[in-house]
Amino acid sequence: MDFSTLTAALASKSYDKIADVCDNLMLQVAAEGVSYQDEWPYAIHLIGHIYVDDINSARFLWKSIPSSVKENKPEVVAAWKIGQKLWTRDYGGVHEAIREFDWSQELQGLVAAYSGKLFRSHFSLTGLSRKSCIFKLYTRKMFQLLLSAYSTISIQDTALFLGMSEEDATSYVLQQGWAADPASRMLTVKKQPIVTEQKLDPSKLQRLTEYVFHLEH
Amino acid sequence: MDPLEQLVSQILALSGCDIARLHGILKASDDLLRTELTRLSSVLTQLDPSKHSLGFLYILEASTAGQISREQAETVVPIITRFINACTAEQIRLAPDKFICLCKRFKDQVILLQAPIRGTSTEHLTPLHPEFLMLCLLAKCYKTGLLILDDDIFEVEQPKDLFLYCYYGGMVCIGQKHFQKALELLHNVVTAPMSTINAIAVEAYKKYILVSLIHHGQFSTSLPKYASSVAQRNLKNFSQPYIELANAYGTGKIAELEAYVQTNTEKFESDNNLGLVKQVVSSMYKRNIQRLTQTYLTLSLQDIANTVQLNSPKEAEMHVLQMIQDGEIYATINQKDGMVRFLEDPEQYKTCHMIEHIDSSIQRIMALSRKLTVMDERISCDQVYLSKAGRERQRFDMDDFDTVPQKFNI
Repeated sequence: MDFSTLTAALASKSYDKIADVCDNLMLQVAAEGVSYQDEWPYAIHLIGHIYVDDINSARFLWKSIPSSVKENKPEVVAAWKIGQKLWTRDYGGVHEAIREFDWSQELQGLVAAYSGKLFRSHFSLTGLSRKSCIFKLYTRKMFQLLLSAYSTISIQDTALFLGMSEEDATSYVLQQGWAADPASRMLTVKKQPIVTEQKLDPSKLQRLTEYVFHLEH
Repeated sequence: MDPLEQLVSQILALSGCDIARLHGILKASDDLLRTELTRLSSVLTQLDPSKHSLGFLYILEASTAGQISREQAETVVPIITRFINACTAEQIRLAPDKFICLCKRFKDQVILLQAPIRGTSTEHLTPLHPEFLMLCLLAKCYKTGLLILDDDIFEVEQPKDLFLYCYYGGMVCIGQKHFQKALELLHNVVTAPMSTINAIAVEAYKKYILVSLIHHGQFSTSLPKYASSVAQRNLKNFSQPYIELANAYGTGKIAELEAYVQTNTEKFESDNNLGLVKQVVSSMYKRNIQRLTQTYLTLSLQDIANTVQLNSPKEAEMHVLQMIQDGEIYATINQKDGMVRFLEDPEQYKTCHMIEHIDSSIQRIMALSRKLTVMDERISCDQVYLSKAGRERQRFDMDDFDTVPQKFNI
């Protein structure tokens, strides 16, 4: 089996492409009739789906994994556990599932990019500082969710959602302009104005105008 | 020279230059191929699937015609895959029926091998959509299935193909939770013209009810006017439990719905729809919360929990949070006071993205309307249609001349 495209995607950190690369590769290999189930990198494939928020696909992939693989490869099971927690919307459980397992070398980069969890080896290899690396995809997404859904929230829940200790979580959100009320242990969320691209393509407007003109005459 | 060898040399010679003549020869030699079954596989090695596609197709089709055991399938499947990937489209188009036949057998064999995923490479679709989607379902490659569903279909030859395509397509969409698209596809099955009721339509109707409840939170039992009369009359009788489920849903009371599902679990399970039914139940909470947003501006979590029949304010909070995450409602939660404030949809329809979306929708509708006009013109020029319509018109006119209406004829 030729995993060069996959390793290239992993090496170049284009994690959002991993699911597609794996999907195509799997179809190719399967069409050639090679038995691939035993050495297929299911864990990477699963997390690839999870990374692009495609829990449905991750779930179907999990269902298609032969039971022998599920029994012999704890990493695959651990990867699916993240998906499971996401599926049931157990927000805090996601962080836990990630933290619980000792991920193998090749997966660490991917999982870290997803969750913001830092691994010792990854750390020393890249030499990234803790601050700059800590806010990764899932954590950032959770932060956005809190931002859009709450006006006040308890420190305890914030820490749970962000997967950090209460001190870390508080200091982080304070940096983002939130206000803390130590007496009630509540945080007041500061909304950020949403900036969207407003520049219009004049030709598009032109076309819409033409439609309306056409309809009125 | 024996006839088979002769045929092979003809394939080799004519493939490059005179395909039409070769096609004729191949058609004529069907019987010959049937009698030489055992030797066919060795002959195949002499041909190149990409250069001599047509000949390869005929021989391969003939060689797979008989009953095939598992071991044989192991060897045949890779040959077919290689052929499908390599063949040249121009040559194959001459014999579409053979090709479809081959692909169907291919499908049967991969299922026989219990490895449906081996069939799901995207190269072979053309008139084989339903077969392909079925393989996708079996192989749990829902994402691949979605790829073809994105293309709009305008021309249909076999009604059964359409039924199956839409049905399987609907299931793929359900798997991916694209309920809108699933609804559309299932709707096509239910309202498609049919002269007798068929099992596909019945199953599709059941799923249609469920998906409609999940997506819209309601279901109207009346089918649109353009549905066939057979469907109008019969579908409901075949899916009684589902209609009653929809009625239970309509009351808005979660306990009632759950009780109904509980008593009918077996029926739903035997239809393999239990999973969907469960989704219907959980969608009811959402629906009830959504209904609250239309009435209130702010509401306490406790009140939400009470009206929606959830156990605790915390549970209500999680439901609201989920819905905010999915963009189904717009609200902010205030944990300090235990209140939820419902907001308006922040979309102001003035972003670039929105304009692009509107523009592409208009383009699509315009293309569709052009297609309809063309079709309409073609039908109104059609000889058969005109003669039939003309006859009916005449009868109609006779009625018109009947000046005294029946009612007053006493």
